[in-house]
Amino acid sequence: MFLARVVGTVWSTVKWKNLEGVKFLVVRPYHLADLAPDFDVPPASMEDGVVVADVLGAGVGEDVIIAYGHSGRVAIEPDLAQNASPTRPVDAAVVAIVDTFDIHPNGKSAS
Amino acid sequence: MMLGRVIGEVWATRKHPRLEGAKLLLIAGLQRMGDKLVPTGEVVVARDSLGAQVDHLVVVTWGSGARRVFAPQDNRHILADAAVCRIIDSHTYLDEIFNEQGGE
Repeated sequence: MFLARVVGTVWSTVKWKNLEGVKFLVVRPYHLADLAPDFDVPPASMEDGVVVADVLGAGVGEDVIIAYGHSGRVAIEPDLAQNASPTRPVDAAVVAIVDTFDIHPNGKSAS
Repeated sequence: MMLGRVIGEVWATRKHPRLEGAKLLLIAGLQRMGDKLVPTGEVVVARDSLGAQVDHLVVVTWGSGARRVFAPQDNRHILADAAVCRIIDSHTYLDEIFNEQGGE
């Protein structure tokens, strides 16, 4: 999973039938350089937007947690039975909308 | 799997029900540079069941390997694509790295 900021929305009229009603967002993953600007880390790339599916209702400007692969597919089928396999053709989805996060990049408590 | 350092924690009220009660840690990926472990710049969110805390060196496992941390079998319902699978004794681990390199 990764932490990301929602930066946009994607619309499409032609899509896989069972993706009707699933919203697609563009998110930008947080890098260590964003979270800890004073820490000596490689600069973040601005060219790494990821398109993700969302059924939780995240909006532009919100921070979200994205899961890849099977976990992402599970996340956009809320009524999925315990051991059923998800069917939607998706490989990344919002699994949580972040309230807050706490960062101590140097291992020291900053709060 | 990825070697990383725990740098924080994330909280979310609005989330998938299958994440209820999950502890979500922010983990900075590490790589070796000379005789040091330095951040790669990547940050991942991993589910933790081992009690890892800020500053701990941990190993993160991905995909179905991550789901197995929470349920060895029948784990298709588990919502986790990254999980802490061990907390490293940093000194022992670093010694091993140096030994691989033929000592200091």
